[in-house]
Amino acid sequence: MSVIRPIARLISPLVNPVVFDFWAAHFTPALSWERPLAKVVAREVVARDTVTLILRPNRHVRQGLPGQHVNVTAAVEGVRLTRSYSPDWSSRRRLALTIKRVPEGRMSSWLTQRCRVGDVLEIGPAFGDMTPPDPAQPWLFLAAGSGITPLISLLRHAAEQRASTAPITLLYWARTRADLCFLNELGRLHERLPGFRLHTILTREASLLPHERAGRPDAALLAELVPALDGQLAYACGPAGFVGAVREGLAGKVASFSAEAFTPPALSPVTESQPVRVTLARSGRELTIPAGMALLPALEAAGERPAYGCRMGICNTCACGKLAGSTEDLLGGGINPEPVAALRLCVSRARGDISLDL
Amino acid sequence: MSKSVARQALSAAEIEQFGAEIDALRERTLADIGEADARYIRRIHATVRYTELAGRGLLFFGIFPPAWVLGTLLLALSKILENMELGHNVMHGQYDWMNDPRFDGKTYEWDIVGTSDSWRKTHNFKHHTYTNVKGMDDDIGYGLLRLFPEQRWRPFFLGQPLYAVVFALLFQWGVAIQDLRLGAYFAGRISRDELGEQFRPIGRKMRRQLLKDYVFFPLVAGPFFLPVLLGNLVANGLRNLWTFMIIFCGHFTAKVAVFPKSVLKDESRGQWYLRQLLGSSNLRGGRVFHILSGNLSHQIEHHLFPDIPARRYAALSKEIQAICQRYGLHYNTGSLWVQFGQVVWRILRYALPSKPASLEGRSLVSD
Repeated sequence: MSVIRPIARLISPLVNPVVFDFWAAHFTPALSWERPLAKVVAREVVARDTVTLILRPNRHVRQGLPGQHVNVTAAVEGVRLTRSYSPDWSSRRRLALTIKRVPEGRMSSWLTQRCRVGDVLEIGPAFGDMTPPDPAQPWLFLAAGSGITPLISLLRHAAEQRASTAPITLLYWARTRADLCFLNELGRLHERLPGFRLHTILTREASLLPHERAGRPDAALLAELVPALDGQLAYACGPAGFVGAVREGLAGKVASFSAEAFTPPALSPVTESQPVRVTLARSGRELTIPAGMALLPALEAAGERPAYGCRMGICNTCACGKLAGSTEDLLGGGINPEPVAALRLCVSRARGDISLDL
Repeated sequence: MSKSVARQALSAAEIEQFGAEIDALRERTLADIGEADARYIRRIHATVRYTELAGRGLLFFGIFPPAWVLGTLLLALSKILENMELGHNVMHGQYDWMNDPRFDGKTYEWDIVGTSDSWRKTHNFKHHTYTNVKGMDDDIGYGLLRLFPEQRWRPFFLGQPLYAVVFALLFQWGVAIQDLRLGAYFAGRISRDELGEQFRPIGRKMRRQLLKDYVFFPLVAGPFFLPVLLGNLVANGLRNLWTFMIIFCGHFTAKVAVFPKSVLKDESRGQWYLRQLLGSSNLRGGRVFHILSGNLSHQIEHHLFPDIPARRYAALSKEIQAICQRYGLHYNTGSLWVQFGQVVWRILRYALPSKPASLEGRSLVSD
């Protein structure tokens, strides 16, 4: 490793990264000049519609902290799609991704059903604030569905360190018992973490076992399951609705509250006159424009000066990255809810709030 | 009454209907684009890499004439595929929907001395938006040749059969400096410093290309420096001749039209489509020929749909021909030899003075 870097720096002016990667992939699929790639080395079904992929990353992938997320990119039917997942790092050379299939979800369907050992994924830099909390204080973890993934990383980390002697409570919501992940592992966790308590709450299970509960995450249920809320460091992860309910239920009662919410892309159409918010990531500006207008004239009317050429979808000069949000192609390309590398501003309009790389 | 440039004069309403049919065709094609197109461009990229490796590898044994000939042809083939079916089409953004940085139209850099950035400006924007509009589309004669009677004759053009041969042999250099404001510099409108500033990125790209083909690979060959250098020179030259031929056949055959700037005023999408059709010409040929031309043999479809993956043009051309037939519009196509013969005729004919033709009052609409 220490030899590779200086040599790579020395010859880098002579190397075309795309050409290098093309030939390198013939020998080792995840070898790349500069891109952070990881090869799938194992695959396991861990719950209904839920798969864990074990990946071996190349040297460009930077290890993140337990509880953080990374952007994972894969080519699905010819299109590279990107989604955030919370990996579990067992070492710098090994990480595990647990993915639950979302109905109609292109990426999660591909990762759980089509992805095979030997496939290569791109792994972006780690981000997120749900890093290991202060071990001296009691922890309260709340997960719904695949929101368990960052929390299981934090629990594994704590179990390895044996650092935490304070109580740890995990409240884990799922629809049915078959949807619960890591159940065996969670059941044995108190062996290494004596203060660990698990409550599983099932919202659509026909008959509950004695240790299982039913119910929504409201203040009453939270107070009942966790009698001493004050002093707890609370972490919540799940769909936006779940995180909102938990936030409300715990407001003012816990020592601290952090959360990460995920929501499938909204496809709801907007009316033409309705204003939408556009975030310009580079300049940090936020503006409001009418949804019915093409983005280029709308941005210009708001005082922006994006590069442009033909203004009719021919020359690609105004194309810029779309980081988030749904847009409609005015030349018959349909609605695209995905982030894209090149969005032609002159022939696209927003179908909701969007974020552009401008 | 204005004179229509379409052989069959169409009313404004007819042109809009014609445009709507092309829009519908566009929509149908876009809905079908996906994995097969992604696989295709990845295979083209792989073919570029394999032929380059084979070509350069054989040239290392270029002391044996058969290896030199085959190596040079393979390297020329690789460069032709890279410039045309891969680079030109990728830079149009045809594969941007893949979100793959390798095929990103805004950042792709191709294997010729011209920079991709200047190409994206002169070609993607100027040439494709203002196709065959005199005074707007610099591709009409490239400021060097008189190809239409509507261009004013000057004694300079007497030498154009010679200039055309030199231009064809050095075509990549012509592409490289097309955006340089040399005319403005010689007319004293911009300073030497301004020109130098404009030249800097082009100079960097030229240096990189020259070092690669004429220093690095010959040096790697050691004692066989010269055969490798000559092989690279000939491969670049063959690519230049081929691209010149294909590109000139796209807009300078006998029946293509040029337009006055006035057509741009309030030009509708249907009129824009019609101008692309009347200003472009196709080449007939087999599948391999189409791929080697970067599918610019379907110049008409390329101009109607510059952002649709070029492998779709063959199927689109059948539908466009049917639409043209319904509207009584001429669909300009022919074999390479017939079409290129017409280009050569234009180069020879308009080197000599001709009765000046005026574009004044010409319009796309008959009423």
